[in-house]
Amino acid sequence: MPRLFYVLLAIVLLFMACQQQSSNQITIAVIPKGTTAPFWNAVKAGAIQAAQELGVKMLWMGPELEDNRQQQIALVDNQVMNQVSGIVLAPLDENALRRPVRSAVDRGIPVVIMDSGLKDAEDIYSSFVATDNYLAGKLAAEHMGEILEGKGRIVVLRYLEGSASTDKRENGFMEGLKAFPAMKIISDEQYGGPTKAKAQQVSENIIMRFRNDTGDAGFDGAFCPNGAMTYGMLQALKRSRLLEKVRIIGIDADPALVTALENREVAGLVVQNPIKIGYQSVKTMFQVLQGQNVEKRIDTGVVFISPDDLAKPDIKELIYPDLDKWLSQY
Amino acid sequence: MVEPILTPPRFEMRAIHKRFGATIALDNVNFRVHPGMVHALVGENGAGKSTLMKILAGAYKPDSGRMFIDGIPFSPKNPMDARAKGIGMIYQELSLARHLTVAENIFLGREPVRWGCLDQKKMLCLATEALKMLGHGDISPNVKTALLSVSEKQIVEIARSLAAGCRVLVFDEPTSSLGQKDVLRLFELINRLKGQGLAVVYISHFLEEIRQVADNVTVLRDGAVTGTSPVKDISDESIINMMVGKKVSELYPRTTHNTGEIVLSVKGLSGSRLPRDTGLEIRKGEILGIFGLVGAGRTEFARILFGLDPVKSGSIKIGCFSGPYAPKNRWAQGVGYLSENRKEEGLAVQLSIADNITLSRLKNMGPWHIILQERQNKKADKWISVMNITCQHAQQKVSHLSGGNQQKVALARLLHHDVDILLLDEPTKGIDVASKAKIYEILSDLTTQNKSIMLISSYPPELLGICDRIAVMCKGKIVKVKSVREWENHQLMLAATGQRETACKSEN
Amino acid sequence: MQIRKLIDQRFTWSWLNKFGPFLALLLVFGFFVTLNAKIATATALEIIMQQSVIVGIAALGMTMVIITGGIDLSAGSNIAMSSVVIALLLDRLGIPPIYAAFTGILSGLFWGFVNGMLITRLRLVPFIVTLGTLLIVRGAAKGLANNMPITVGETWLSNLLAALPAGNKWLLFPAGAWLMIALAALVSLLLQDTRIGRHIFAVGSNEQTARLCGIAVGRIKLFVFTLGGAFAGLAGVMLLSYQEQGDPAGAVGMELDIIAAVVIGGGSLSGGEGSVVGSLIGAIIMTVIRTGCQLNGWPTWVTQLVTGVVIVVAVAVDNLRHRKAE
Repeated sequence: MPRLFYVLLAIVLLFMACQQQSSNQITIAVIPKGTTAPFWNAVKAGAIQAAQELGVKMLWMGPELEDNRQQQIALVDNQVMNQVSGIVLAPLDENALRRPVRSAVDRGIPVVIMDSGLKDAEDIYSSFVATDNYLAGKLAAEHMGEILEGKGRIVVLRYLEGSASTDKRENGFMEGLKAFPAMKIISDEQYGGPTKAKAQQVSENIIMRFRNDTGDAGFDGAFCPNGAMTYGMLQALKRSRLLEKVRIIGIDADPALVTALENREVAGLVVQNPIKIGYQSVKTMFQVLQGQNVEKRIDTGVVFISPDDLAKPDIKELIYPDLDKWLSQY
Repeated sequence: MVEPILTPPRFEMRAIHKRFGATIALDNVNFRVHPGMVHALVGENGAGKSTLMKILAGAYKPDSGRMFIDGIPFSPKNPMDARAKGIGMIYQELSLARHLTVAENIFLGREPVRWGCLDQKKMLCLATEALKMLGHGDISPNVKTALLSVSEKQIVEIARSLAAGCRVLVFDEPTSSLGQKDVLRLFELINRLKGQGLAVVYISHFLEEIRQVADNVTVLRDGAVTGTSPVKDISDESIINMMVGKKVSELYPRTTHNTGEIVLSVKGLSGSRLPRDTGLEIRKGEILGIFGLVGAGRTEFARILFGLDPVKSGSIKIGCFSGPYAPKNRWAQGVGYLSENRKEEGLAVQLSIADNITLSRLKNMGPWHIILQERQNKKADKWISVMNITCQHAQQKVSHLSGGNQQKVALARLLHHDVDILLLDEPTKGIDVASKAKIYEILSDLTTQNKSIMLISSYPPELLGICDRIAVMCKGKIVKVKSVREWENHQLMLAATGQRETACKSEN
Repeated sequence: MQIRKLIDQRFTWSWLNKFGPFLALLLVFGFFVTLNAKIATATALEIIMQQSVIVGIAALGMTMVIITGGIDLSAGSNIAMSSVVIALLLDRLGIPPIYAAFTGILSGLFWGFVNGMLITRLRLVPFIVTLGTLLIVRGAAKGLANNMPITVGETWLSNLLAALPAGNKWLLFPAGAWLMIALAALVSLLLQDTRIGRHIFAVGSNEQTARLCGIAVGRIKLFVFTLGGAFAGLAGVMLLSYQEQGDPAGAVGMELDIIAAVVIGGGSLSGGEGSVVGSLIGAIIMTVIRTGCQLNGWPTWVTQLVTGVVIVVAVAVDNLRHRKAE
């Protein structure tokens, strides 16, 4: 009776899963959007730091790619089955993750959302720890206006359709730019896509569209809502030898971009504090588990860095964080 | 029955034995072919012809026995080896690379090379020569083989075997998909090859063909040789007796059926290619046979009736239902279809016997659409005993059964579904005699339960044996329907081929 | 008379067979030229060629694989892996670019060989094997690069896909594009005029027949997968040149672009058909569509939609061509 056997096996396994009570140790699962980008490594470092300080166990697992919703949903569901104490999640999609988050909370596992928002779910999750992406975009717009002295033509290279955090940055930027009536956005309909090479190709095509024979790029500023877009635009401008004509402002930093900032190839980077996001999220989750009251919305702040700021010690700490110190301890 | 020895045999098999599990496929088979001779090998499907040929071609190894080519021991390791040692096979389903040209196919594996590059010129030249030698200089060596007709493809295959230096050429049912004119050209070609000193083995079950082309004939039955003789010294009657082992009449249960009202009527039916504007009526309680050559559109006709292929024009009326329908509706209307293509279409061979029998009707197997295995097995067991299916249990995989038993499972599905009209496409193709007899018996029983059967077959004795009426199809059209008493074997062939010729001409 | 009609028909369709993809390219290009003449400038053509190189070079290998009836889903990962290997050698070990690039190609060749061995020795289906190696190679690349893109300094490798300097405009395309064209000619020669080329077609057309005719089917498959891997490795060199980074997350999903290029170029996923020139043109068609849409400022979704339509139309025309021809 093989079928009966399978049914019994399933029941036994379910039973065992339910019995697998973690000991008194608090386990917090942290689920990022992806595992490759340096940004998430920094978040991870912060999470490890908080976990060590608070004496909790931290599980770090994320989807391979930043557009694999199914995988992230499965990860959340698995952690619920795993009976972790709490889940910290950076949702890949502001809608698709609502169902798994709700079922986690229904099973008594609190959820803290980080980095990107979850729509219509304020009553479900315990807290939302993130950079205010809209403000980040707005900050970029202010500096763009300042650098270009309030006039010029601007290109916005968007990231991916349906990515809430970058959408907010783009919107914030465009809204912020309205303060400068002489500045005009000439392209905001192109999405760079998931890889740097694609972003670079799209940038090249945008450049080709606007450049003219006088050796002018046809635009004066470019806004890029994340690291990959900034790198793609940078490469495209560099290889078209138009780098001096266009000021790039990007959000997020990685070593290659910081080098570019040093060389003044990039006009400025708006930097979040990913370590703080990771740290604060785990800490907030700990407070929730301890029964303390936490704020529904925790802003981890952004900073604009111009090439001249690089020497400042607090900025140094922010862009050259010693991640390995923490990452090696996971 | 000993033939006069003129020259030492080109190819000889001595005391070949081969068994698969419990079944003995070949039992002490002796077979020899002389150079410059055409030796026909006949026998029913399942008699062991294909096993014998697979041994010759190197696909199987005999359990015991020896083979020789020109007196030299021959034991091929694999088909490639057999080919290299001089065995050329021309299969029913032609084995050409359809994307390559004629010349490329002929020299596949032995392309002439010059300075590391293909010597296209030499290849074309040699190919043209080879085709000319076969009397078919009209085939361009530059054309892709996908564009050739079946008979042209066959020529290319023969050319390839010759180019590979074969000494024994085996034709496996070479005429099954050829028109009359092409058959004659093929026979001419075989005679030409014979003249060049090749030994030819010709497998067929058309006795007329054998009379036309072969010098000697060997008959196989149930894995054993029942006779070898020069063709001119033996009558058709005795060949058939050797093939079947019993009188033809014993195989077919002859009962008179009481036929009733019309249950299926087709008018002016055309499909996207075949059939073309054809009509037919089937009555309650009758077995209607459909005869025709391969490619006449019989299978397409059945598929259209069952809703597997789209109707282009015309009407199908089943009982009171009319118009085009899908297989799902046909099942509901009490029509069942048994595919000619048992392994690919007819059965899910990786599933169990019980699953296969109950596949189309899984109702009442348990509460809430759950399928209780006990109930499914019970249903299946009933049919296993009725149909006399040899198996271990109802949960055995169908792929483990013999061809005959697989076919019984496929038929049992229709019976389990309790259909009223059975569309059977070559139900006895490639199965053993005992299974055949069982199937005939069941079909006969069904008519007494007022079921109607449309039986498609390429084997005239079978149709003449069990049908009430026989319809002959040619070029997508039913050309003649007559009561079985008014048909004779050769008339069937005439009807199926005679008009085919003219149709072919008008089309070219 | 009938015969002549038949010959005519054969001629027309075989003509379409040869020049179909090229015709499609002209059509697509012409369409965008009427919308925006900028796409016909030397700069635009240079950029189009440059952007087609990575997919195009990988498509050379993929064409051979697809002709044998196989498929290589691991190509994208393989490209990323190669770029990571080269970046590591350049950045961490300071090895001269030429050797680093060569090692990158070898890395591609190695993974292709692994695919080939798994498929021929273990008799596994290419789709499944390469689905597995897609993840294996991607994972390995990420591990090797420690999850971070590795930025490399400027070397002559970067010039392979860089915009031509003002004095060198007479070259028309960057060196990488010429390399792609030269390799395409070589592979075309291999497929059309050598025994192994005929055998590659034969294996895809009818494996049993090929085996019967004494062709070592396993060795042919091993050969195409290995060579296909090497081409993916070379595409990795190009990715590194273009991005100036060894990117473990690079070329994600590119295998689908590569397969699409082969299919647009007349390759059949059931084997036996495909042409190197066609595949290159397929890659270029896809770039032209993207560039054309973006030059007109059409949103990204339009680009994707148009590319999808072209793939479907290409396959449909191909299918029609077959049915007519038979």
